[in-house]
Amino acid sequence: MRKRLFALLLAACALTTLVGCGQTKERAASGELVLRVANCEEYIDLGDWDEDEAIELEDGTVIFGENSLVDDFETWYEETYGQKIRVEYSTYGTNEELYNQMSLGDVFDVVCPSEYMIMKLMKEGRLVPLSDEFFNEDTEENYYSRYASDYIKGVFTDLNMGGETISKYAGCYMWGTLGIVYNPELVEEGDADHYAFLKNPTYSKRVTMKDSIRDSYFAGLAIRNESDLQTPEFIAQEDYREELSERMNDTSVETVQEVEDILSDMRTNAYSLETDSGKADLVTGKVVASLQWSGDAVYTMDQAEEDGVELAYSVPEECTNLWFDGWVMMKNGIAQDARKQQAAEAFINFLSRPDNAVRNMYYIGYTSPIAGDADNNLVYQYLDYNYGAEEDEEDVVDYDLSYFFGEDADNTITAPASQMNRQLFTQYPPEDVLHRSVVMRYFEGDANDRIAQMWTNIRCFDLQKLFQ
Amino acid sequence: MSFTRKQLGLPYALFLLVFVVLPLLVVLYYAFTNGSGHFTLENFAQFFTNSKALGTLLYSFVIAIITTGICLLIAYPTAYFLAKGRIPHGAAWLLIIVLPMWINFTLRLTAMKEILSFIEGNLAFHPFLNTIIGMTYDFLPFMVLPLYNALEKMDHQLIDAARDLGASDAVVIWRVMIPLSMPGIVSGVTMVFLPAMTNYVVLDMMYNSTYIMGSLIGSYFSAYNWHAGSMISTVLLLLIGLLTWISKKTGADSEEGGSIL
Repeated sequence: MRKRLFALLLAACALTTLVGCGQTKERAASGELVLRVANCEEYIDLGDWDEDEAIELEDGTVIFGENSLVDDFETWYEETYGQKIRVEYSTYGTNEELYNQMSLGDVFDVVCPSEYMIMKLMKEGRLVPLSDEFFNEDTEENYYSRYASDYIKGVFTDLNMGGETISKYAGCYMWGTLGIVYNPELVEEGDADHYAFLKNPTYSKRVTMKDSIRDSYFAGLAIRNESDLQTPEFIAQEDYREELSERMNDTSVETVQEVEDILSDMRTNAYSLETDSGKADLVTGKVVASLQWSGDAVYTMDQAEEDGVELAYSVPEECTNLWFDGWVMMKNGIAQDARKQQAAEAFINFLSRPDNAVRNMYYIGYTSPIAGDADNNLVYQYLDYNYGAEEDEEDVVDYDLSYFFGEDADNTITAPASQMNRQLFTQYPPEDVLHRSVVMRYFEGDANDRIAQMWTNIRCFDLQKLFQ
Repeated sequence: MSFTRKQLGLPYALFLLVFVVLPLLVVLYYAFTNGSGHFTLENFAQFFTNSKALGTLLYSFVIAIITTGICLLIAYPTAYFLAKGRIPHGAAWLLIIVLPMWINFTLRLTAMKEILSFIEGNLAFHPFLNTIIGMTYDFLPFMVLPLYNALEKMDHQLIDAARDLGASDAVVIWRVMIPLSMPGIVSGVTMVFLPAMTNYVVLDMMYNSTYIMGSLIGSYFSAYNWHAGSMISTVLLLLIGLLTWISKKTGADSEEGGSIL
């Protein structure tokens, strides 16, 4: 009997698998295209805006998120290409979760990991390169190639993995910096301008750190190098950017050891290592400062403003981590299906259409690489709408973003001076901030193990303490 | 139409197979293989030579022992008075104790945190204390209920008999009540001790950034080291199995003792 039961169970399992296959075939037969998309949680405009949220731009364009961008894509795709499509949209929490899910057999066509994960996937040969057509700026629907900021595209293209540029595989979706959100009333001016602030005993148990190996390592490494990075000689040298990148991607044994000690102090000094609670704790005043990504920082400042608290954002003077999230196509999902690849690229392009980029930015607070051009300046108008000074305002600053928008397009926002360490500065940092930015590479093999071990060492209860 | 017991058990058997047995096999596979898929005991050896992993094990044990001890101390008298109807509206009180279980525990802890902040000011100065408070708050009902069941079934005349024969209060508690309620104690301890060793959500929420077993396992998976992560899970599983076996044995013995008495 037991044997029969087991056989029955096996049969049941096999049957479920078969049913699974059957469904996929049926879909293909009905002519409907299916695109499997995986994205971070809360990382796309899900629509359903209140009526008073409509964004009315200067040229009369009204931007309003009625449906989710995913639904809008389905409609747009059918209208544009005459082909019915259905998006299976799923979400994940972290890059590592996505990677583990895919290793366990989840198959997606398009996913949106961070630059270091894209590099890892590139190295493992799991990505499909973007087609030549994707880069053709003459095709109207190629919104990414037409409208993404040349500056951001340039930095993105400079990122290499195994001799290939990351641009060949990925369309940038959001980008930003790493910095410190703080309450200027409770933090001495200038204190938050350095990463060492996070382990400053004056603010003991009143600052939060990120519960993330990479961000913490970056902050720790910046503290280790703080005196060198700020010397005039270091900054003045010709290959400053390369040198900075070299120093901030150092994973040698001694360096990791030194960073471990720094992070140990930092952890003792911190209120918490948070993944999400830091935003709320800042707003409620439990902490006075918090290490954050620029996108989360904008969100935190917006929230705090609603409660009547004014927060500020600083990008430490040592350097900052410039990060990118980008859409890539998975080899095992696309499986050389040309129609599918076309649909995947159309999806990236649809999200890059300036009005959709604005919707995303409004909804999630992060910064899109889409700049528009002289003819389509919706993104610029949105910035002006959001941060531009009122006409009767006196204390104003001309904020130059020509590096991002280009010399020929509208590129300068007249903003209240108070915005200079607030949302505008956070969402669109000035060029000098980007000058001291570094992209953190993916740690390979031993380096990854070493840094993972360092983090475990910091977090685990130390037996040796008992025997001292 | 009638079903045999085996047929009725089929849905659950299927559930067990897919969600318990198969994942367990996967964990075991990863625990005893290395990156290239070959059998190895290296992960096992690594765990026992890694002072950080052992430190975490100790830390988790300490948290679990203290939590269980406090839960037992609070729950036993509570359950006794509720079971013996010494307080009016016993059923209502029992409901109040069970009530928190209807609310998701992260919500309860969020509320708890606000109350604690109000009392302590900055929570970050007492991470260990707050962890114990959070765990106790979370697990208390799981201790009260089995104790209540055991104590309610207990024959109260045995206590009177012991008193009549000259036993002091301490002797009554130690020699009569505790042995009689042993099955309840064992199941209560099992239900509190084991989850308390791995419930890292409580530590996260209470701003305690030290790893316990649950978070240590998670950290290995985030660093793509499934083999070491699976090995720690396996070791933990073995320890839990061992503890359950021991508690079952003591539970069974005392039950026998109870019936002889």
